[in-house]
Amino acid sequence: MRQSDICAIIDLNVPSEALEPLTQYRPIGTLPFAGRYRLIDFPLSDIANAGIRDVGMYMPASSRSVQDHVRSGSTWNLDTITGGIFTFPYVATKNYNNPLNRQRYYDDYLTFLKKSNTRFTVIISARNIENINLQEVLQFHLEGNAPITTLYKRQLASGTTPDEDALKISAAGEVSNIVTAGDLTPDAKTHTLPMAMGVYMLRTSLLIEMVQNASEQEDFIRLPKILEEAVSVYNANAYEYTGFYANINSIKRYFDANMAMLEEANYQALLYSQRHIFTKNKNEVPTFFSDASEVNNSLLGTGGWIEGKVNESVIFRRSRIAKGAEIDHSVLMQGCKVGENTKLRYVILDKGVVVGPNLTLEGTPEEPLVYSKNAIVETDAKTEEGRVELQ
Amino acid sequence: MSTEMLAMILAGGQGSRLGKLTKSTAKPAVPFGGRYRIIDFALSNCFNSGVNTVGVVTQYQPLELNAHIQNGASWGLNEKNAGVTVLQPFASREGEKWFEGTAHAIYQNIAYIDLYAPKYILVLSGDHIYKMDYEAMFNYHKAKNAALTVGVLPVSMEESTRFGIMNTDETERIIEFEEKPAHPKSNLASMGIYIFNWPTLKKYLMDSYSTDGNLEDFGKDVIPAYLSHNEATYAYAFHGYWKDVGTIQSLWQANMEFLEPNNELDIANRDWRIYSRNDALPPMYVTRSARVNNSMVVDGCYVAGDIEHSILSQNVRVGEGTVIRDAMIMPNAVIGKDVVIDHAIIGERAIIGDGASVIGKPDDIAVVGYQEVLGKAVEKR
Repeated sequence: MRQSDICAIIDLNVPSEALEPLTQYRPIGTLPFAGRYRLIDFPLSDIANAGIRDVGMYMPASSRSVQDHVRSGSTWNLDTITGGIFTFPYVATKNYNNPLNRQRYYDDYLTFLKKSNTRFTVIISARNIENINLQEVLQFHLEGNAPITTLYKRQLASGTTPDEDALKISAAGEVSNIVTAGDLTPDAKTHTLPMAMGVYMLRTSLLIEMVQNASEQEDFIRLPKILEEAVSVYNANAYEYTGFYANINSIKRYFDANMAMLEEANYQALLYSQRHIFTKNKNEVPTFFSDASEVNNSLLGTGGWIEGKVNESVIFRRSRIAKGAEIDHSVLMQGCKVGENTKLRYVILDKGVVVGPNLTLEGTPEEPLVYSKNAIVETDAKTEEGRVELQ
Repeated sequence: MSTEMLAMILAGGQGSRLGKLTKSTAKPAVPFGGRYRIIDFALSNCFNSGVNTVGVVTQYQPLELNAHIQNGASWGLNEKNAGVTVLQPFASREGEKWFEGTAHAIYQNIAYIDLYAPKYILVLSGDHIYKMDYEAMFNYHKAKNAALTVGVLPVSMEESTRFGIMNTDETERIIEFEEKPAHPKSNLASMGIYIFNWPTLKKYLMDSYSTDGNLEDFGKDVIPAYLSHNEATYAYAFHGYWKDVGTIQSLWQANMEFLEPNNELDIANRDWRIYSRNDALPPMYVTRSARVNNSMVVDGCYVAGDIEHSILSQNVRVGEGTVIRDAMIMPNAVIGKDVVIDHAIIGERAIIGDGASVIGKPDDIAVVGYQEVLGKAVEKR
């Protein structure tokens, strides 16, 4: 089989304020998810499963976690003799009024696209959780009328926020433009809206042309905007994705997506399909469940030591849950320790949080309590350092 | 290319006492402890000890071992001009080079060893569970100015009758070797771990195979030859957990010991990690109907049954109403609903149908073999 005909672009510069403090030192793309993954594993696995060998990755301001996770790209077969991962550094000043910076922004894209020597380009949003068959998307694209294809997922209107992007799809199945969810009326029967996934496929030559045109404009226009305009200009083909999808744009959405993995159908569809989700290997030891442990409907990573109760929760690698502790509807990232007889309910602990004994920390499904990375929690008083209450 | 000490891991054994478990795979490739294969211990010990050039000598059913080892990257053994080479018997002008014994296997691979021109070679067995710093033994070998250092494990005097025993003088020099002595004079059991000065060993092997070819085995032939020629041969005592998992009973026993919190192997000690090949698997999923106690579970497991004092390896599925007790379940086994498994080892990819039972006793462990199907087929999840 010859080399892939597709190259991929992932831009990790995605607004992440709504996910503070989880995104204080990392972009949304490296948020831990479902007990052992990072968000970027999903686009990268789509890429690996489609046999794509050229990936342009646009780095965020805080790129340490990205570099550490992706390394050579070997996890996703991206360390072959041709192609691979091409990273483009964050432009520190980010002052795009400066024509040099602006030119640099476009040049980075043009350099990658021209060098990739591929016929098609796929652009994937870095805050997506999904498992897309990109070869199938390519087939769909080739059969479509428009020179650009964009993806959507029908989601219950009640689960969306009015400011999220959605597609306005004509009766003929073409996308006339990208609007916000609030602008659309949900389907009468299914109460769903076609939510835009921020995934696009088009000819590489067309994308090069579009980027070149943009670089000659008076105003600075970023790639997502260029693509959005192309959707309107060409009435893009609309590919309906039917698998599990979450657009991680808030703490609540992040929490809900983790909880959704505790529904077997979602877990199976996203993580256990023929298209594997690949992630960096850690060589952890098996997780030990003691005599006293009680675990109920939960996902757990390896390297754990469980002596307490865990109910409806997602527990990442190397967590220690002491005797008498009770974890309920919570997300505990890698390396958390929970002391004896402490109760957590609707709580998110970032990596390495240590919670002392005999405490009760309780959030709500709407507003989970969040403790930031490496916080040491010794009281359940409201003023605890590291704790963030959502307004 | 040159490397000071090269390791040769002997991984060609059939492991016939493991019965069904090694029917289609070599003993070093047998799964252990939920997410390891036995050879991971020797390979990880090499990496952790700074031994970066390793030949793995295979012969019996090598497919799984090859698939497991690949380019050695999983153990950090993929350096340029070093790393892992899997060595299999091959044909040459002199005839086919099957390996007739441990020493003969080294003789047949002289060309490989000389590629790296080592001063020393470390000979290891690929079927032991232990964490050992070979560098410490190497330093001892050099300090003693030895021609051969034998790794030995102090065992109880009763156990000494079951091992090859090294009798030493007060300087730890080996003066006598006795295979399974009825009346042991010492308790230093050979671990099948040797450091040789390569030029000396090579000369012995070349001389032997150009004449009578009687140096087939290290324990039986080479050590006695070294002793009779008065070569400086020393015993290096290892203190720590070491287990030969050569039988069904000892394999089960070692897995059960692995389950004990604070067991001597100390698998979770990150200063001496054991590495293995990793598959892309989702996190383990413990459902509402599951109970898991005194057990170890790893990636990719789906658990809906009752697990007590057992190990579930990667990608094992356990249906509702099933009870698993005192058992080791190997990777990719599928266990249906309402199954009872007690004192057993379930082989890789085995399928246990709904309602079936596999029941052994503490001194007679039940075994379901690799890919064996028991009872009616399980509904695919």
